[in-house]
Formats: sequence, structure tokens, C-alpha cells
Amino acid sequence: MKTFTTRDWVYIAVFGALWGAIEMTLGAYLHVIFPPLADTFLLGVIMAGLGGIIALTGRHFVPHTGSVLMIGVVTALLKALSLGGVQIGPMVAIVVESLLMEAGLLLARQPTRWGFALAGALAVSWNFFHKFAMMRLLFGQGFYEVAVNMVKDGSKLLGLDVRYSIAILVVLFVIRLVVGAVAGWLAWDLGGAVRRRLAREG
Amino acid sequence: MTRFEIWDLKLSSWGYLVFLLWALLLVGLLPDQRVALLLGSVLLFALFTGSDGLRPLRRPHFWTLVLSALALGPLVLGEKDLAWGWLRLSQNGFWIGLWMALRALCLTLAFSVALSALSVSEMVRLFETVGLKGLGFALGVALNLLPTLQENAMAAYHTLRLRGGFRRRPWQALKLFLITVIANALRHSDDVVNAAAARAFEPTVRRGEPVRFQRADGLLAVVLLGLGFGFTLWPF
Repeated sequence: MKTFTTRDWVYIAVFGALWGAIEMTLGAYLHVIFPPLADTFLLGVIMAGLGGIIALTGRHFVPHTGSVLMIGVVTALLKALSLGGVQIGPMVAIVVESLLMEAGLLLARQPTRWGFALAGALAVSWNFFHKFAMMRLLFGQGFYEVAVNMVKDGSKLLGLDVRYSIAILVVLFVIRLVVGAVAGWLAWDLGGAVRRRLAREG
Repeated sequence: MTRFEIWDLKLSSWGYLVFLLWALLLVGLLPDQRVALLLGSVLLFALFTGSDGLRPLRRPHFWTLVLSALALGPLVLGEKDLAWGWLRLSQNGFWIGLWMALRALCLTLAFSVALSALSVSEMVRLFETVGLKGLGFALGVALNLLPTLQENAMAAYHTLRLRGGFRRRPWQALKLFLITVIANALRHSDDVVNAAAARAFEPTVRRGEPVRFQRADGLLAVVLLGLGFGFTLWPF
């Protein structure tokens, strides 16, 4: 992190502010439509996907290890300082997702489209585990209760019988992976398109 | 330095951070029945420090969330063993809902108390103290950028909408919208970089006084440690 220049930190601030703005506007709006206790799947997947697109686009412009994590930290702090007040769930999700994106990018080593897709997939996959972690932390609920509720919700969403609980959980997890990979894929395109636009306009 | 002062002892930002970590740890560790003790301690701390941390208690949205956990518990959790008119309720579900609500209260208040005591400048100083000067700078820039970003985004959105972009080719319009917003933000950031350079800002050089761990912070840490051990290990 010591290698970041002033320009790098400003870019980190820009992408943190963009992700934060999405969290504070769209996130707050979706929270009203889907109360968090009722639907963490849809809400979490949408917000994590968008966050992944923004943070990974930021990586195009700050191509150093740790930049995505710093973008996530800035976003989480903005969320904490926002008018809506402290919301622990989204703050934890933002930081863990950015950590997972960093891990994905480290695994990929070179900045490639597939590396971005891996990072995005890892980030959005956190949405699956987030409910287990937060329900344990916030509400003291164990793995079993959360899994049962997830299977019930999933069976309604997918139209599958609750007897296929493992299949339901696997499908829910795979949907998250796919959404995340698409987010990473799009971030690669978006970063390139922004770079071309800036180059064209001098 | 933050507001809490007693017998000439002042809590610094470290004290509030210690308190937050303590509360987070205990929320995870304490058995259900003892969460009320933690909630009492958090409330006492908030009252003694006189911070704005109790503000969430005045928000209807906050109470809706807490009370919904309490109300939904007997209806959706546990085995139904009570009948109240046409309603089938669960006693176990009621208790689970109650512990849920108490844990949510504890965590939200602990975060709120700690963060309300830390102004943006305090946070920046804290980051500087731990060697993350650039992060404090980035947070300040991001906070100041939010209104500009909002303005730019609204202008880009209305331009595309008035040209019928979102109706005819929504995906293309969305892509153009994102490219425009990000490109404008990055162009604006060049001005910020120039302004920082003009002020001789250097992310690796520390300027202000570091936040020092005060005697009051140490005292608080010892008290919280004792309370933590008491809450978790005392045979009630």
C-alpha cells in the first residue's frame, strides 16, 4: 500500500465514492422494497454485482495489489457515515467482498478478463455465506436454522420441492458465482471503454 | 480528543475503538440470556460519554426492524405450541426473536456510539497514526466528491433519457451512462490531484499529531476486559 501515489489514492476515492453512492441510493431504495430480513438473496446479489463492477473497473486505473480492498474500505466508511446511519450487514459485506476480489486477483496473478471474472465470482459468492455469518453474529442463529430458511426461500424462488435441499443450495450458490463472473467480465469491458473515452478526449 | 472527560481523564479515539471491538466480540461470544447485560453496558457507556450514539433509538425505521424480529419470532420460528385465537404461536420462537432483537440493538448502538464519537478528521488522524495516511486522504476526497458525482450522474441520466436512450436500447444506454459518469469523475479527479500537489500533499509523510493512547483508554480497556470476563465466565 506504500506504493500508492497521490493520484492512486484519488482514484481509490473516486471509485469508493461511486460504489458508496450506489449503496446509499440504490441500496437504500432496494432495502425499502425488499426488507433485509425478507430477501437477502436478490438484494445482495444485485448490490454485490454492481459493487464488483465498480471496484474492478477501479483496478484498471490503480493496478496495484490492495487497491480494490482500499476502494471497499472507503465505501464501507462512506456507508457508515451516511445519513441512513450504521448498517452493519452491508458494511461487513462490502469489506469482505473487496477482500475476496483481491484474493481472486492475486490468484489470477496477471490482470486478465478471466482474472476479473474470478474475482467477481468470489466477491458475489460471499452473499451465500453472508447470511450464515450475520445471522450468527446478529441473531445468534446457528448453521442449521439459516440453512433451513435458505432452502425454504430457495424452493419458492426456484419452484423446486424442499426435498431437494442440497440441489437448491447448490443452485443458489452457482447463481451467485455466475452473476459475479458476469460482473467481473463487464468490469473488464467497462474499464477498457472508459480508458478509450479518456484517451479519445485527451 | 473526544468529549468524554471525568477526573481529568479524556477518552481518545482509541478508547472508542476498544469499546467497539469489545462489544463486537461479546455479541459473538455471549450466550443468549446474557446479551441483556451487554446491552445495559452499551447503553451506560453511551449515556456516560454523552455521544450522539443513541440517535438510532429515535428512528422509526430502526424500531421497525427490531420489533419485526420480536413480532415475527413466535410466528415463524420454533415449534408452534400455543394458540391465540386463530394464531398459532411458538414460545421458543418468541425467545429466539427476543434474543435476535437484543443482539441487533447491541451491535447497532455499539457501532453508532463509536462512529458518532469519531468525526471525519478524527478518523483521518487515526488512519495516519496507524500508517494509512493515504486512506484518510481518500476518505476525505470521497466525501467531498459525492455531491459532484450525484450532479454528474443526474446530468448524464437526463441527457440519455431525453434522447430516448433508455427506451430504445436500454443496455447500450446503461453502458454509456456508466462510461460517462466514471470518465467525468476521473477527469474531475485530475483537479483534485493538482490541488493536492499544490498543497505539497505527500501520502507517505505524516503531518498532524498522532492519536495517542490515553490513560483513560487504558482504564476503559481494563474495565471492559473485566466486564467481558465477568459476563462470559461468571456462573449466574
